[in-house]
Amino acid sequence: MEIAYFLGCIMPNRYPGIEKATRILFDALDIELKDMEGASCCPAPGVFGSFDEETWATIAARNLTLAEDIGADILTECNGCFGSLFEANHMLKEDEDKRAKINANLAEIGREFKGTTNVKHLAQILRDDVGFEKISSLIEKPLDLNVAVHYGCHFLKPTAEIGIEDQAENPSILDDLVELTGAKSIDYKDKMMCCGAGGGVRARDLDVTASYTKEKLDHMSAAGVDAIVDVCPFCHMQFDQGQTEVNERYGTDFAIPVFHLAQLYGLAMGLSAEELTLDAQKIDAAPALAKALGENAK
Amino acid sequence: MSIINRLKSLFSEDKDKEEKNVADEKSDDVGAKPSNLDDAIVSGTKTSVPISDVLKKDEDAASEVTFKKDLSSIEEQRVEEDLPIIEEDEPSNDEEIPKVEEEESEVEEVQEVETSEIEEEVPVEESLDVEENTSSDEEDVNTDDEEESAEKADDEEKQNEDKKRDNMTLLTDKELLTDANRDPEFTAEFIDAGIETVKHCFQCGTCGGGCPSGRRTPYKVRQIVRKCLLGLKEEVITDDALWMCTTCYTCQERCPRSVKIVEIIKKARNIAAHAGYMAKPHKMTGVFVINTGHGVPINDATKALRTKIGLSEVPATTHADAAALEEVQKLCKLTAFDELIGYDEATGGLKE
Repeated sequence: MEIAYFLGCIMPNRYPGIEKATRILFDALDIELKDMEGASCCPAPGVFGSFDEETWATIAARNLTLAEDIGADILTECNGCFGSLFEANHMLKEDEDKRAKINANLAEIGREFKGTTNVKHLAQILRDDVGFEKISSLIEKPLDLNVAVHYGCHFLKPTAEIGIEDQAENPSILDDLVELTGAKSIDYKDKMMCCGAGGGVRARDLDVTASYTKEKLDHMSAAGVDAIVDVCPFCHMQFDQGQTEVNERYGTDFAIPVFHLAQLYGLAMGLSAEELTLDAQKIDAAPALAKALGENAK
Repeated sequence: MSIINRLKSLFSEDKDKEEKNVADEKSDDVGAKPSNLDDAIVSGTKTSVPISDVLKKDEDAASEVTFKKDLSSIEEQRVEEDLPIIEEDEPSNDEEIPKVEEEESEVEEVQEVETSEIEEEVPVEESLDVEENTSSDEEDVNTDDEEESAEKADDEEKQNEDKKRDNMTLLTDKELLTDANRDPEFTAEFIDAGIETVKHCFQCGTCGGGCPSGRRTPYKVRQIVRKCLLGLKEEVITDDALWMCTTCYTCQERCPRSVKIVEIIKKARNIAAHAGYMAKPHKMTGVFVINTGHGVPINDATKALRTKIGLSEVPATTHADAAALEEVQKLCKLTAFDELIGYDEATGGLKE
């Protein structure tokens, strides 16, 4: 099996350990990741989607044509990229007028959107194409960890279009995938709430974003979790860097480390904190790792 | 533009549509078709009601009125109140109108009725003031000799009333919205963009109830949807709160009318952005994409980190491919995104 690997921005340019873990995971799963060479920003829905739909759809469509050239479906492990690319792909497949308009733009750079690829999220591929059994077989070091699962927004919603889960109030896909590692998904208040970074709000008003994040951290903290697990580098950045911003603003001392699902699998497959660039994240992961790996902790 | 002129223009525009409606009604004269009902609701909340439309659909009238009860402005209530009156005046209109010429003359009659109704009812808009004036006039007549003192007492009474009112929790906002506040083209932009569901909102407030931004900012999603439907363009696009939505979709997921709320917000933002309401940090994200292809470009620390763990120093994206970056830049020019954000090619920054 081959899949076109869409990197996006924040993962390769801020948290490369997620990319590293993904490459190792898919190698172990015997799925070939084909790099989408020359891909750009998805583009960010908060700015491009909010400023000019045509530009947003045109740049997204350009990215989609790269996967069409490869002849494979797209893997993305960022909710923002997933939301943008899925929505653009869906829109251009359904709406002939918009497709004609966008293709007129793409023709200027010798490209054409054909509608031959599907956009898939990492978690979706792992559940639907790989299966829980195969993933379980890769787990070398079961993790003794209580985690707060953070779904983020653009992974499942809008459910009517995306269809990974039929509702987004009480989904299970991510909890199931997390618990394959031995970690426990701990329920917490307003679990499905946004991290606060999306829609261009983080860029525009950091105080508002920090206020969201504090609410989430309050609830996660009250549930007594050791770590946060997400499936979006933007949420990831918000819980990592954003956590320090919350502490600065509110005088709190939150210190809950953040793992992307790919990093969590990396840990369970025996990769080191350095390989997963957990040591470069703002919130120290060492205490959680010591607990997670028990005697195996380095 | 006066209401009358607006009605005239509406009729001339809608003539073809009306013909169609007549045919529709003939083939289906009992059923209140959902699509017709929707149309009626929207036109009722737009500039004015296509009266002939309503006349021909008196079986729809009851349900329409129910739907419209939530409309808050007196202006709209007045228009609604006109409808049953016209129907009583022109019972013959219930019959089908066979020819276009006849229909036109009927329409003119209706217009006249409408005009007189409006003229008569103009004071309703100022009903509060009128009532107050009337009552004080009556008092003046009764207290001929003590006119001055009575007036003083009256003033004091008024002041007391005002004080009492200040202590109450009643909303005292008397600002009325009129057609002059509305821009039908603004509403049309949402419909044209395929977000017809903006018409389906019945203002239940489920959206705002679950909105995480509404809990901490002045962002009122229900109100914005309403304003978009009413065509209150300036109010929507000049409001900073429009940008406080994180596009989390909680509202859209929970909406009992399946209104594409996030699409409405994004469309409103598009219109705001094109009218010049863009925050500098957002423009800068656009600048980064034009310069590098990435909204969050790589930095030296990450380059070192990537090398350390055995990844390529820069990802195989536009960062490693000048021709690919040129494609992105060309597309941004083609769609005039560079102009929209005020990108300065010479400096690679913003023009301001």
